[in-house]
Amino acid sequence: MQRPVYSLDLSPGLRLKLVRAGFRFTADLLDLQPAQLNAEAGLSQQEALEVLQSVRSERGGDEGGSLTALELLQKEEEDLRNIVTFCSQLDSILGGGLPVGKTTEICGAPGVGKTQLCLQLAVDVQVPQCFGGVGGQVIYIDTEGGFMLQRVVDIAAAAVRHCSLLVEDDEQRVAMETFTMETILSNMFLVRCHDYVELLAELHLLPDFLSEHPSVRLLVIDSVAFPFRRHFDELSQRTRLLNGLAQQLITMATSREIAVVITNQMTTQLRGSQSQLVPALGENWGHAPTTRLLLYWAGPQRLAAIFKSAGHMDSTVQYQITSEGFRDADQSEQPQRKRPRTHSIQSAASQRDSSC
Amino acid sequence: MVVLRGGMCPGLDEDLVRGLRAVDIKTVEDLVSSDIEELAQKCSVSYKALFAIRRVLLAQHTAFPVSGADLYEELLSSTAILSTGNPSLDKVLDSGLYTGEITELSGGPGSGKSQVCFGVAVHIAYHLKQSVIFIDTTGGLTARRLLQMLQAETNNTEEQMEALQRIHIFRLFDVFSLLDCLYGLRSGRLQQASVGGGSVKAVILDSVSAVISPLLGGKQNDGMSLMIQVAGVLKTMAKDFNVAALVTNHVTRSGSGELQPGLGVSWSHIPRTRILLERVEEATAVSHSSLRSATLIKSSRQGGTTRLLRIHSQIQLGDTLWAWLSSSGSASVCVAEAAS
Repeated sequence: MQRPVYSLDLSPGLRLKLVRAGFRFTADLLDLQPAQLNAEAGLSQQEALEVLQSVRSERGGDEGGSLTALELLQKEEEDLRNIVTFCSQLDSILGGGLPVGKTTEICGAPGVGKTQLCLQLAVDVQVPQCFGGVGGQVIYIDTEGGFMLQRVVDIAAAAVRHCSLLVEDDEQRVAMETFTMETILSNMFLVRCHDYVELLAELHLLPDFLSEHPSVRLLVIDSVAFPFRRHFDELSQRTRLLNGLAQQLITMATSREIAVVITNQMTTQLRGSQSQLVPALGENWGHAPTTRLLLYWAGPQRLAAIFKSAGHMDSTVQYQITSEGFRDADQSEQPQRKRPRTHSIQSAASQRDSSC
Repeated sequence: MVVLRGGMCPGLDEDLVRGLRAVDIKTVEDLVSSDIEELAQKCSVSYKALFAIRRVLLAQHTAFPVSGADLYEELLSSTAILSTGNPSLDKVLDSGLYTGEITELSGGPGSGKSQVCFGVAVHIAYHLKQSVIFIDTTGGLTARRLLQMLQAETNNTEEQMEALQRIHIFRLFDVFSLLDCLYGLRSGRLQQASVGGGSVKAVILDSVSAVISPLLGGKQNDGMSLMIQVAGVLKTMAKDFNVAALVTNHVTRSGSGELQPGLGVSWSHIPRTRILLERVEEATAVSHSSLRSATLIKSSRQGGTTRLLRIHSQIQLGDTLWAWLSSSGSASVCVAEAAS
């Protein structure tokens, strides 16, 4: 079984040189020394080394990350916990919160609460483990300039207050000492990207940043649509960049075990004489995120729907945005402050019972 | 273009290779196409020896004809048709996934491609008790979902765990690691995976477009070559090891607004059978319906190769995926000439 040289992860120019010199299969290269390759294909010493390294690493054959479904299941149960959203209904349709290790897209019209949910998640990811959280840090990439610190302070204060009401044992009391406004803010890394080039560059650098900060558990990009909806003459170029970006995000989510949340805008699509609102960036982009959440208005109510997911049923729930953040909708239509709090206490409490 | 090396065949030693190099004969091709008599004089080796070397090299690098009768015999003894676990989909696929062939599922986001893949994996692992290789390139696979599907089949935890152990998962997100993995599988790892229960009967690649589409478009042309590499290794693997290959693909809209599978014309020749999955929009439904339609858009088996068939069948993706519509006319089969 021979593998063509053309399938190696080398630059196209290098591959062409090898093929021109008559090397067609990796087996032809296996027994060569760098100097021979240098003489025969006219490669520089460094290029020759690179070629031989890639041939041999392929031969060496590490198991390539193969695992059985059973092993994956054990990993999912033990290591990957969900990030609670403080909206118990949304948590329940998502199977306990936002999945870590997956990419989730939040779509919605302006003002429906995409950024609010992102800010809420950026705080929630820091909830200590003994409270049923994941106790991680967050990277927040802001491309629209919609990040409002004052709002984060409100949401963080509400989260701290909420957890302090739940304290029952010593472990939680100790955890509360470090779960304060200051630590919440200092565990949040904000990146402001102005255009798509900056965004792509930032994503290329992120793996290094993640190695330095291994406790990052959430990456938010708010929004991915904004930089990509302008400055593109050629749409195929945009599609290619977006597809590449999607694979990068999935790689990061899986290998570093972080939750990736991206927001997307809505656009109008014409079908015959009818028009409807659909997520922007084209149909092709829809394959990129593992889960897609749609936030929309139905009269005075705000609704959140899962409309693409490989692991969840399509379902819709109500939510509301209060001064404390993203919460369950009241059963009665009047805005009451107390109701959502008790709901989220229950949600967090049940989460804790299952995890501790 | 295979480079000549000492010890490649009897009689071809290092000295001779060096001698041939000196007269600009570097590859097997050069040797085979050159004039042996002239060459014998130039390199001062015997004509007979060179002639023998040429014959051996030709024999080594040629393809052999096989008689149709033998092939048919082999087909009958080795080909299996794997049920997808879904009667309607089996009907569309002419009773299931054929080993040795590539079957493609295409569809938009949320059309149920991954769900069908999970269902097939679970069905093969649980009902047929065979191993499955699942290559996930979109990050969509969760073992919890597989378990959920198994729980719909059986309550026996031990059987569930056994079935899960027969599903081997690779999570790869770029084309080069995919190629590494596929070549690795082809050069023997496929048999290793079958140790410990059932041989590998299916390789599922969800999705092929996720790794290839970042390379296409714009002014890049390297992507095409890599796409064909992936196709080539998938095809030979399916044939050589007699496994069914199931791949998923995204969709694009043609100028007239009709859905068609992605990755362009070059890729359209690769899968033997293509299925298009779509959501069924119900006018009255408030929320999204769980009903999907499956349309056969390419088949070399049903109705001959020249005529494209459109066979519709509605499938339902519920909590237990394979909860089908009642049998009363759910699999409405209609045959029509394809528009193109």
